[in-house]
Amino acid sequence: MTVRVATDVGGTFTDLVYIDEGNVKAVKSDTTPPNFEQGVVNAAIKADIDLSDVDFFAHGSTVVINAITERKGVKTGLITTKGFRDVLEIARGNTPDIFNNTYQKPNPFVERHLRLEIEERLDYQGNVITPINLDNLPELVAYFKSQQVEAIGVCFLHAYLNPEHEIKLVVALKNLWPEINVISSHEISAEWREYERTSTTVLSAYVLPPAQQYLDKLKKKLLANGLKSDPFIMQSNGGIATLKSARDNPITLVESGPVGGILGAAAYGEVIGDGNIMALDIGGTTAKCSLIHHGETRITTEYVLEKTAKKAGYPIKTPVIDIVEIGNGGGSIAWIDAANSLHVGPQSAGSTPGPVAYGRGGIAPTTTDANLITGRINSENFAGGEIQPDLNAVEAAFKTLADQLNVNAMDVAHGVLNIANSNMVNALKLISVNRGYDPRDFSLMAFGGGGALHATALGKELNARKVIIPPFAGVFSAWGMLMIDLRRDYIQTHRFALTDNSKNAVLSAFEQVIEKAGLDYKNDGIDQSKVKHEMYVDARYSGQEHTVKIHVPSTELEEIEFIRALSERFHQTHQQEYTFRLDGSAIEVVNIHLVSFGLLDKATLEKLPASSTESADTALIGKRSVDFDSDTQVTAAIYNREKLQPGMKFKGPAIIEESTTTTVVLPENRVEIDDFGGIHIYLRD
Amino acid sequence: MNKKVDIFTIEIIKNALVAIGEEMFLALKRTSKSPIIYESLDYGIGVTDANGLLISQGNGIPGFIGTLDAGVQNIIAKFDRENIYPDDVFILNDPYAGGGTHLSDVCMIRPVFFEEELVAWTANKAHWTEIGGKDPGSYSADATEIYQEGLQFPGIKVFEKGIANQALLDLIEVNVRLPEMTLGDLQACAASLKVGEQRFLSVMKKYSKDVTLTAIDKLLEHGDLMVLEKFKTLPKGVFEAEDLIDEDGMGNGPFKVKVKVTITDEAFVLDYSGSSDQAPGPINCTMGVLVSAAREVFMGIVQPDAPATDGCFRRLQVICPEGTLLTAKRPAPVSAYFESMVCAADVVRKALAPVLPGVVTAGQFGSVCTMNLSGQIPETGEHYLLVEPLVGGWGAAVGKDGESGQFCVGNGETSNIPVEITEARYGVMVEQYAFSHNTAGAGEFRGGNGVVLDYRILSDDADISSFFGRGITTPWGINEGEEGSCNYVQVFDEQGNEKARFSRTSRYPLKKGDLIRLVTGNGGGWGNPNKRPKAKVLADIKNGFISERDAQAIYGI
Repeated sequence: MTVRVATDVGGTFTDLVYIDEGNVKAVKSDTTPPNFEQGVVNAAIKADIDLSDVDFFAHGSTVVINAITERKGVKTGLITTKGFRDVLEIARGNTPDIFNNTYQKPNPFVERHLRLEIEERLDYQGNVITPINLDNLPELVAYFKSQQVEAIGVCFLHAYLNPEHEIKLVVALKNLWPEINVISSHEISAEWREYERTSTTVLSAYVLPPAQQYLDKLKKKLLANGLKSDPFIMQSNGGIATLKSARDNPITLVESGPVGGILGAAAYGEVIGDGNIMALDIGGTTAKCSLIHHGETRITTEYVLEKTAKKAGYPIKTPVIDIVEIGNGGGSIAWIDAANSLHVGPQSAGSTPGPVAYGRGGIAPTTTDANLITGRINSENFAGGEIQPDLNAVEAAFKTLADQLNVNAMDVAHGVLNIANSNMVNALKLISVNRGYDPRDFSLMAFGGGGALHATALGKELNARKVIIPPFAGVFSAWGMLMIDLRRDYIQTHRFALTDNSKNAVLSAFEQVIEKAGLDYKNDGIDQSKVKHEMYVDARYSGQEHTVKIHVPSTELEEIEFIRALSERFHQTHQQEYTFRLDGSAIEVVNIHLVSFGLLDKATLEKLPASSTESADTALIGKRSVDFDSDTQVTAAIYNREKLQPGMKFKGPAIIEESTTTTVVLPENRVEIDDFGGIHIYLRD
Repeated sequence: MNKKVDIFTIEIIKNALVAIGEEMFLALKRTSKSPIIYESLDYGIGVTDANGLLISQGNGIPGFIGTLDAGVQNIIAKFDRENIYPDDVFILNDPYAGGGTHLSDVCMIRPVFFEEELVAWTANKAHWTEIGGKDPGSYSADATEIYQEGLQFPGIKVFEKGIANQALLDLIEVNVRLPEMTLGDLQACAASLKVGEQRFLSVMKKYSKDVTLTAIDKLLEHGDLMVLEKFKTLPKGVFEAEDLIDEDGMGNGPFKVKVKVTITDEAFVLDYSGSSDQAPGPINCTMGVLVSAAREVFMGIVQPDAPATDGCFRRLQVICPEGTLLTAKRPAPVSAYFESMVCAADVVRKALAPVLPGVVTAGQFGSVCTMNLSGQIPETGEHYLLVEPLVGGWGAAVGKDGESGQFCVGNGETSNIPVEITEARYGVMVEQYAFSHNTAGAGEFRGGNGVVLDYRILSDDADISSFFGRGITTPWGINEGEEGSCNYVQVFDEQGNEKARFSRTSRYPLKKGDLIRLVTGNGGGWGNPNKRPKAKVLADIKNGFISERDAQAIYGI
């Protein structure tokens, strides 16, 4: 018997999904801070799983991002090249809030007195100009000790080309101070730009001890409860890592929460044979979206934590699935500004006081309240039936806004939904139309508590091919983890001009990193036959800065065909993303990007038993009046999702209810249930 | 369509229009060939209505906020309607007509047609690295006429009906030093205009022309209403200040910049009458630039919580007679126009600081502090031109110290070029990039620190032109806060002997092994230094911003 388990620790719930002989089951258990590992074990007990039967255990956690956003990392020191300790604080010198003369730069995570310098220097090609001088290292160590520093980051200029000096320093430092936590820039990022690399290194050091402690506690607890091998850990790049490798470089876990759902979307797309997906996750305070093209997620290293339109934030150059996030979720508050314009978000009512309907003292109407008062959400079964919503209070809240605008309360509720939808459409356009993708070629896959409520309206507006509401949407992130492989992204700045004779230059640039990847997986205990590589280059027109990522064509091709294929891919991608191509212009490769997968034996998903008829009447639980727009009330059929079976078909208007979410089917929509219980909504007849 | 739906649809269209500026901004950033565009973000971009009123913008530099609409209005005035076609693109950099700043900032403008009717314009303005003229980088600290400063584009078509004017491109190619980069910028700028056009038209297609035009009116009106609301909180009255620009790069000066600010319930008037006549050297700006400076400082003070549109500026009036250094006339040189522009904005803040504590800061280092370094890359012999502004110290305000190592107020999203990129692209080695050791700008809230940036020159036949303002006149302190410090450049030979020190210079020759040290000033302080809490002074000592001895002398600790 093989049981495969994935767990995802969220702010409120710890989700556990397991697959046992092709059948998927899920449980939710309370998250148990600060001993999160206890919640994980509780979930396993609740699911009645014997951990000693489990041969694959994946785990996602927000421990890294929480340590940063709550400023609960350790006191951190930084060692830089002589003359450059202030790079971290000067940052890029920009003022995103462009008119504000009282703008405040983000506070550096390492104070100036803990930023110390070492004499050493490389040139821009990585040659040693000044050999490293470690004479004053004991003095530095003594100072750090006197200041109770617990972790040290090291970042030298041009170390992305030649890590020699960083390695020497780390070795010497460990000799002098064996118990110190230290991480150097080349271990995390092999790309140029010293501020961004320094920032990444500092944050890595800052979270190193708490992340390692957590992973160690988790491992100990799980093994004590019978698990036979180490758990795997979810990373920001859309893959999982062995516990050991996550432990060495925990900053790679920073966005593992939000990317989990995106990954679930890619995995479900693969199960049903749909590779083009706009994934949309609507939660309480934000909506997040990401594009999946031909089954591939998009990776970026331009991630900036805490960046807003008015704040520069903190760059983290670790590979992260490219996600656009906006401040619109179920709890987003509707408000009117001094000039009588209605806005939705980004302020959120959160869970306390929460929407007005919660009756916990919230007086500002939210998107959830608008979904409730228009009949989209069932008032009899609100928040899983746990709350009896106060509809009078909700109406009164909308009336307050309506009086200011001189319209009626229902108009405002519809206005709130329309504005929230238009904000989300703008975000979805950023990942699709703005990058040259046509939404008609994509399915909109929606999940999270609010995804299914808004998806059909958004899909219609964007002209998406169809809307898919996957099964397991309430535990989507954990479900996705069951379906994926180990993944490592190696991105290295490596500049050269692409000429007719460059095939060798391209391939030899990859040689070393392929070797390194092989070694890394060998250390993980993964057999070489299970390691699969994908090669990409980030290229640009010579002289440009920003690059486009392209797949390296088959290495079997003859030199001239190889280069031609690569160049043509580049021109095409450039035209798609930026509207023009410059056929005469020279092409320059800037980074090589190797994606290496360690293939795992994955569970296969069993199809659900098909319905004997196309009719969905057995799942029908009633009818109710729903306002799909402000002029018309329509009677919609209400279906119970748990009773919908593969092969069933029906038409809108309808509402599909399940314990964690509600799906809105517009009057002109047509619904089909797929083999695994996913709801496919065709937007036009 | 009924009225009830209308007001929310209008909101949605407004949001969509505002989003266009941001999209265009990113599109240009991603495709530019110049580091000054893609790293420094030295550009602005936007959409106007058919009459050239600004409806949406994405801005790296607040200083471009008044130039896009003026550029469009310039084209509207110059061309007969029947000679403007779909897929035309106009090019413009004439500082004396609307839309120009200095010649390096090139404005490109495209009409947007909906069903054969001209309904809007998209425009951008970006700093091109090279536009010809007597000095590399197309600005000269010692130009005496605009003719020395580069190619002038008086608002002409570079594309007509989508077809490039090859004669013009050929002309540009032979008149600039880095033609590939210049023409690459031209392509990228033209492409980003198309992005804006496509988005605008998709809005109009979806909601109809009439509803979209109504939404535009409402968007502009919204800006005005938000501004009026904020006026209620502003102090009313007449406030005056003056400041100095040390010299014009030719040894003339100082020059006075004077403002009288009048704030009433309904108007915000900046009267610069009494400022000095235009300068012989290139520190002049023109009326369009002065309006931009006024808009920038106005948005920072009023803070209307609304996207910047033409509607926000209906209550703003700018008065200044022709022929001053803020309203120069042809053929005055203007390549270092940003010096008078920054000063024109700062002097308004100086006038209002006493009545707007916490909103306005003490004096800042107050200069873009830019320099052009020209030479050869030792490995390849290739010519390079490094154009880079520099960060410095901001003024303190009630409740906060000044920011350290930040581009000057009004420089927006301008970002520094990473050392690792500088060294890979140019023939220099950076030996230091650090906060300067300077205790100027003391106060209860202290001014921010300037920086020191050292470049080692790696080849002979290099030279530097510098445009550092405030080389003599320091940034002001407020309310017993001390004044900040000045900006300057030092040149050392290989042995470390100082060869020269200046703030502005033109093509100072450099040898292999020379070190140029760029130093920027601290901002001014706010409040008496004796009132600074001891803990903050101790933290400054610990962090090496001040020595114990100086702390005792200045703060009494």
